Amino acid sequence: MNAAQCRRIWTAAGSHHPLGKYAGPRQTVLGLLLLASILAAGCTRTIIDEYRESGRALPLGRSEQVVVLGRRHDGEYETEPELIQCIARRLDDRLPVVPEQTFIDRVYPWFEPRTAPLGLRRLQKMLDDPDVGRRLHETGIRYMIWVDGNTETTDRGGSMSCAIGPGGGGCFGFTTWEKTASYEAVIWDLGEVREGGRVKVDAKGSSYVIGVLAPIPIIARVQNSACEGLGNQLREFFAARRS
Amino acid sequence: MFWIRPRRSFRILLALAALLTGCATHVEVAGDFPTPVTRRLPVSATLVLEPAFRAYLLEVSEPNPVSLALGDSQAALFRTVAGAMFRELQVSDQVPDPATTDLILVPRVAEVQIATPTETQLQIFEVWISYRVQLLDKSGEVIAEWPLAAYGKTPSRMLESAGDAFNQASIMALRDAGAAMITGFTQTPGVSDWLSRRGAWSPAEPAAP
Repeated sequence: MNAAQCRRIWTAAGSHHPLGKYAGPRQTVLGLLLLASILAAGCTRTIIDEYRESGRALPLGRSEQVVVLGRRHDGEYETEPELIQCIARRLDDRLPVVPEQTFIDRVYPWFEPRTAPLGLRRLQKMLDDPDVGRRLHETGIRYMIWVDGNTETTDRGGSMSCAIGPGGGGCFGFTTWEKTASYEAVIWDLGEVREGGRVKVDAKGSSYVIGVLAPIPIIARVQNSACEGLGNQLREFFAARRS
Repeated sequence: MFWIRPRRSFRILLALAALLTGCATHVEVAGDFPTPVTRRLPVSATLVLEPAFRAYLLEVSEPNPVSLALGDSQAALFRTVAGAMFRELQVSDQVPDPATTDLILVPRVAEVQIATPTETQLQIFEVWISYRVQLLDKSGEVIAEWPLAAYGKTPSRMLESAGDAFNQASIMALRDAGAAMITGFTQTPGVSDWLSRRGAWSPAEPAAP
């Protein structure tokens, strides 16, 4: 039997780009375009922790499918449906993924925030129930990937004022905000009713708006980085199915 | 900071007033409800959807005017869920006299509350619905007054209107009401005894997996 494995990955986006080598007018334009794209992307730091029950890839039979589900039971936040769709899209090129809403509707009302299983013991009870268990088997789902967490604004500063007049208008000032995304994905194997592994991702990024006549936004796509980190890492858990 | 010529200020104020009156949110709650996965109880039932229930409208004036027309959607939800719970279902707009089914369900809205991110400082729109479902037997005797509480929320999204967010949160609350009906019906005091007396359900049987 293989021992459980853990590893940590750090990534940073939009921070280091070689601009110094551009010189001529054409290159200057290219350089400015590149600079604009870098500024538009902002800067995000992502840390991914992964835990595997075993070193082997999770097997997936020919008719078996995967579903990515968001946790919605907490009263103060909700795992964003857009993030769940984003992760599902990242997995979909390698694995057969059932859309979240399609699955939840098929097994209604057993995966609503009030009724969704929070642990494997309750999932086992559902599988043992003649009606709910039969419907779960009919869906063909072998793995459920539960994603819990959210993206929130953790810091905010600066100020900007805009003015308009007969001769025109403009914005002056500088404003910044920081977003933090923290998510954990847990893989449940419905075939063996056990946990297949988990991935935790923490992403942080600062966005800015600089007001020099026109407001220039520099937006960090924090939730997108978290989706990318989770999606890429989750794909590695499974044996590839689609070419 | 704005510099505006006096002649133009009146027009701009008029435009702002027009925009502010447009801030009122009206939502005709619309959505589909899937047929629930549940065991049918061997009893026949009449679902009474009174005109006030089918036309229910919540109107809130503070902090911003919001109106939620829940009637059609909640009537559709109760029809779908009750249709899956009982062997046979009839729908009526008043309590039938005489009754032709074993059980009569009369749902009524007790209270609806809403909350926006600006009120709670949470990045979610919320809807609470409290129902009282009166359960009568064939002779018109009250079996139970069943309180049914439901909650729905949806995260606030950039560029999404408050109307869309309230519609989504209301649909979530109605789906939650359906889940509460399925999981809580046989546990309701009075109902479990009535069902077991008819041999339709045993207290030893788990209500939900």
